Amino acid sequence: MIRDYAARSREIIRDEPGVREAVTGATIAFDEKRRKGYAEVDADAWRRWAEGVKNHTLTHLDHYLTEAEARLQANGAQVHWAADAAEAREIVIGLATRRAVASVVKGKSMVTEEIDLNPSLEAAGIEVIETDLGEYVLQLLEEPPSHILGPALHKSLRQVQDLFAERLNTAPDGDPDTLARAAREVLRNAFIDADMGITGANFLVAETGTVALIENEGNIRLTTSLPRVHVAVVGIEKLLPRMTDLAGFLQLTARAATGQPIGCFVSLIQGPAADPGDDGPEEVHVVLVDNGRTDVLAHEHAWEALRCVRCGACLNACPVYRQTGGHAYGHVYSGPIGSVLDPGLLGLHEAMPLPFASSLCGACQDACPVRIPIPELLLEWRKEAQDEGLTPWKERAALAGLASVATRPGLYRLAGRIGSRLGTTGAARALPMLGEWARDRALPKPSPRTFRQLWREGIE
Amino acid sequence: MRAGGEGSRERILARVARAAASRGRLSHPGALATPAGADPVAGFVKCFTSSGGEVVKADRGRPANEWLTDFLQALEPEVVGVAVGPEVPADLRPRLPDVAAAHAGAGISVAWGAVSESGSLILPSTGTRAVQLLPPVHVVWVPEGRVFARMEDALRELLDGLPAAVGLHSGPSKSADIGRTVVTGVHGPGRCMVVFI
Repeated sequence: MIRDYAARSREIIRDEPGVREAVTGATIAFDEKRRKGYAEVDADAWRRWAEGVKNHTLTHLDHYLTEAEARLQANGAQVHWAADAAEAREIVIGLATRRAVASVVKGKSMVTEEIDLNPSLEAAGIEVIETDLGEYVLQLLEEPPSHILGPALHKSLRQVQDLFAERLNTAPDGDPDTLARAAREVLRNAFIDADMGITGANFLVAETGTVALIENEGNIRLTTSLPRVHVAVVGIEKLLPRMTDLAGFLQLTARAATGQPIGCFVSLIQGPAADPGDDGPEEVHVVLVDNGRTDVLAHEHAWEALRCVRCGACLNACPVYRQTGGHAYGHVYSGPIGSVLDPGLLGLHEAMPLPFASSLCGACQDACPVRIPIPELLLEWRKEAQDEGLTPWKERAALAGLASVATRPGLYRLAGRIGSRLGTTGAARALPMLGEWARDRALPKPSPRTFRQLWREGIE
Repeated sequence: MRAGGEGSRERILARVARAAASRGRLSHPGALATPAGADPVAGFVKCFTSSGGEVVKADRGRPANEWLTDFLQALEPEVVGVAVGPEVPADLRPRLPDVAAAHAGAGISVAWGAVSESGSLILPSTGTRAVQLLPPVHVVWVPEGRVFARMEDALRELLDGLPAAVGLHSGPSKSADIGRTVVTGVHGPGRCMVVFI
């Protein structure tokens, strides 16, 4: 649950120190690669361009959605519209049932996590196999992903060695190569046996009806090529107008995510196999999912978060995310982007206290390939939370207290003198009202003399 | 199924239109001008090899199929059977037994083209996808004159007669999901080799 964020964070830091170590190490490495990837191109110009293309698309989304639909249908694909998660699940399960699907292979997809697709498929008697190596590890562990790009980056090699030794009979000290080979064997058979492949989409190009998917392993290419039915579950914000736009976004997204010029594999899917000799799927379905996105689009400020390309750069740059990884956040979209997107998708009340899970340092905004003003959006959500009375009452009382002190010169003078003698954070925490503020913060040591005293003595 | 479907489509489009109208419709910034390198082939080789792809020089004094046969037999492990895409002309097919892609030691394809700035091969689904994906080694013939400087140029030209699917391959299959160690050949080919023609 999102509302347990603070308690979950404390638990992870206290009880699972390996998570902090693994996540910090992995995100710092990703962030360094991102910086290098940006430095090789005119990243500022690319990012401004990408922001402009996404803003244009989002303010013409009705036009591009209908254009994409028409193109896909002309290509022989079928298009479905889902207002919410339940409807999206029903559509996919309906397709699977109609084609008597017994087993499904999946490519890593955030939106299928968002709509909680796997348990519904399993409840319908369909076997579901995650084929991204990290997702496969998590499926065996029955855990959700903790990072957009490296879903299992909170797991150590030791943990995977133990897991695979138990489940795949690998040697207890198998190296990553051996472990990957063991998984490949299981998954290769799954690809060949599967009746349906399910993926998300990085982009959907309106001009051509192209579902574009970026990856490094090749499992998404297999998922979209071998089974007789391919279903792409696509958030409605994933649209791009033209193939020439896609050319820029494929490269910018890869640079932001891993510093690579492009992912090792990109799939551009227009529809079902048509040419003789093409061994691709007989059916291609695109499920367009709203599930709160039109609420975000209508929000005065939060709509900018819909530019997100799910590269994970803001997670990698975030000093708060690094402490706990994604599980503390309690929702599929974690880290800085989760903290601005979740309140819009789920409602602010449901997403509290995520807008407060940030030091507002701004590293996320500097990393973001589509220049989402995350710190500004966090402040907007905080302001709304304050206005709607969603912040803890003690903190509201503390702020009201601060306001009454700050507007009364006599009281302010007195408070300043008390403050200058406090000395430590510990003492501040013992005080009423100020204590609530100081609980999760390390306070700077106060100056022994107040500003007013210094002013009288004639500071420069 | 619930009463979603058409109703959901109309509702989503109406909500999207309302949001757009209240915000004002913003204009498209035009093309992204990425620089075109002076030598597309050299740029491709640099980018493709730095992500783990291999570029092999054929012995042009010999027929291409003979050279490829010897080359595949010299690989470790030796390639015994191959899977060859239907787009590969007879003079580029190795003289080795054809086997199903799932059992082949190597897959042989001809690329529609390549992209210099990203080091990518463009592989349409008119070739066989299993050939491009299942064997541990993928050997791709690339016409030297078909190396585009920029992705945008390649995708624009591809618009004419776009097939059902296109794969962009820019190196071997890899993952760092286990212990942050890069392993190759996780799902797709662990070696991706380009030979210019």
